[in-house]
Amino acid sequence: MIPSGRVAQARTAPVSLALALFLLLAVSCAALLFGRYPTPGFIDPRILFDDPMALRVVLLVRLPRTIGALLLGAALGASGAAMQFVFANPLVDAGFLGVSQGASFGAALSMLVGGGSMALFGSAFGFALLALGMSVAMAGRIRFGGAVLRLLLSGMAVSAFFSALVALIKYGADPLSTLPEITYWLMGGLSGTSWKSLTVAAPVALASVSLLVALRWRTALLSLDEATAASLGARPRLERAVVLTTAAAGVAAVTAMAGVVAWVGLIVPHLSRLVLGGDGSSTVPGSAILGAIFVVMCDAVSRGLFPGELPLGITTSLIGTVVFFFLLVRRRINVERG
Amino acid sequence: MRFIDVSYRYKGESDAAVLGFNLVVKPGRVTALLGRNGSGKSTVLGIGAGWLEAGTGIVERAGTVAFLPQSERLAFAFTCIEYVSFGRAPHLPYLALPSGCDIDKASAALAAVGMGPKAERRITALSGGELQLVRIARALVQEAAWILLDEPSDMLDPAHVATIGAAIRSLADSGVGVLLSTHDLAFTMAAADEVALMRSGRLLDVGPMESVLTCDALGELYGTPFHLASIPTPTGR
Repeated sequence: MIPSGRVAQARTAPVSLALALFLLLAVSCAALLFGRYPTPGFIDPRILFDDPMALRVVLLVRLPRTIGALLLGAALGASGAAMQFVFANPLVDAGFLGVSQGASFGAALSMLVGGGSMALFGSAFGFALLALGMSVAMAGRIRFGGAVLRLLLSGMAVSAFFSALVALIKYGADPLSTLPEITYWLMGGLSGTSWKSLTVAAPVALASVSLLVALRWRTALLSLDEATAASLGARPRLERAVVLTTAAAGVAAVTAMAGVVAWVGLIVPHLSRLVLGGDGSSTVPGSAILGAIFVVMCDAVSRGLFPGELPLGITTSLIGTVVFFFLLVRRRINVERG
Repeated sequence: MRFIDVSYRYKGESDAAVLGFNLVVKPGRVTALLGRNGSGKSTVLGIGAGWLEAGTGIVERAGTVAFLPQSERLAFAFTCIEYVSFGRAPHLPYLALPSGCDIDKASAALAAVGMGPKAERRITALSGGELQLVRIARALVQEAAWILLDEPSDMLDPAHVATIGAAIRSLADSGVGVLLSTHDLAFTMAAADEVALMRSGRLLDVGPMESVLTCDALGELYGTPFHLASIPTPTGR
């Protein structure tokens, strides 16, 4: 009995994670060959040697974009899984705590005053972290409920506050130039991704995902009762802050790069549990890998399926909501509490 | 573990939940806290676990404490073995994962409480009694000097109460000091060595189970007449 339990626990998870990683590699290579040049669909890899234009398209457009999609999915997936553990709630994602709405406001503000792409990134990133700080500070002043309930409530309020500010900016923006720009950015997409934009977002996203993966078991432990976690030697308040800040920084970076891409952080952890099994140490890395696969595929669909580009946020939401509904109906998402 | 003149008042409450509380919990012994709802039993356990900080007074304890609150939220479907291996956390460096050795200890603890065959079951699929056993297994792998349990037999059927009583007895026999709160008198008689009676945050009486658990004392404690019937004790001790 002891050996079988141990094998099931310690051996199968790394194997399925390795398989998922291999799948990610395959999907990414396929995405590099998929698009609308020279004709819609996949290109034959052999023409890369003959057609310099095809090589340029792959190396300068599709490669940074695919890496961007990969990082975006990994950061949203890992942070979604980590936040679900921290909040002990399988129905939250990184959008809670106001991170996404804060980033939206920062980006909209930057577009209103006409900053460049670096200013936009800095503003979105800064306001995302400010929103997180506001949520945490407000939660500390609520005098009822547990720490988790307080954070959820204040995060809801901060999210709503920043979306009101975004609406205010949109209302005041020039309807011919700035308003479409803001609206398009808010839909989320990687069309602006270049090697240059990656150099800023990628290190933060990579650091966030790596740290969340390193913290995976401690994070799962935080999903136990606060008193229980404390009795197990955890310092729930401090450790929660470390995980939330790490997750929020990653989400802020990729949101500043690509706009609001919804539903990834919410559904990918459930897919990870479904596909990879287990709930403890494999959910965070599994969500990072599956999130990357999901977004790379969605981005390829977004840019390659139709003559005009479809915003990525629309693709992920369309697919994400259908998957979510499927998971709910098949009872793959279990929100019953003990 | 020694509570010396411990008092505690919850924020926003005018009355102290625990007042001038003194108690010695001995290694290798099971001490049961009895008292009405709201008499301060859970607060005493929280203070003993270090989860609540005593307002006044001190708690002396040599060694680590494992604490099982009355209930636990189960937001995720961990397997029993995963759940029990969380008990190894106090022994692991911050970023370490449980090793094969930790998993073996978790398996052994599950086997010790009779849950070995269900090691790969999800905790959300367990009955209340099975979950309680798995939680006790988690406390076992903590290898703590003291184990504090808040109403461990609450809402369990007599068979599970007996199993849990036996698990707690064998813990104490291995040298662990156990402090638990309960309303279950049959469970107390089966599992406890010492009984401490609490009312309104104060200790009324403490001593060996046989001398403290009298009809008069219980009648006074709960405010309702008692007569002790001779029932077979579930563990057959």
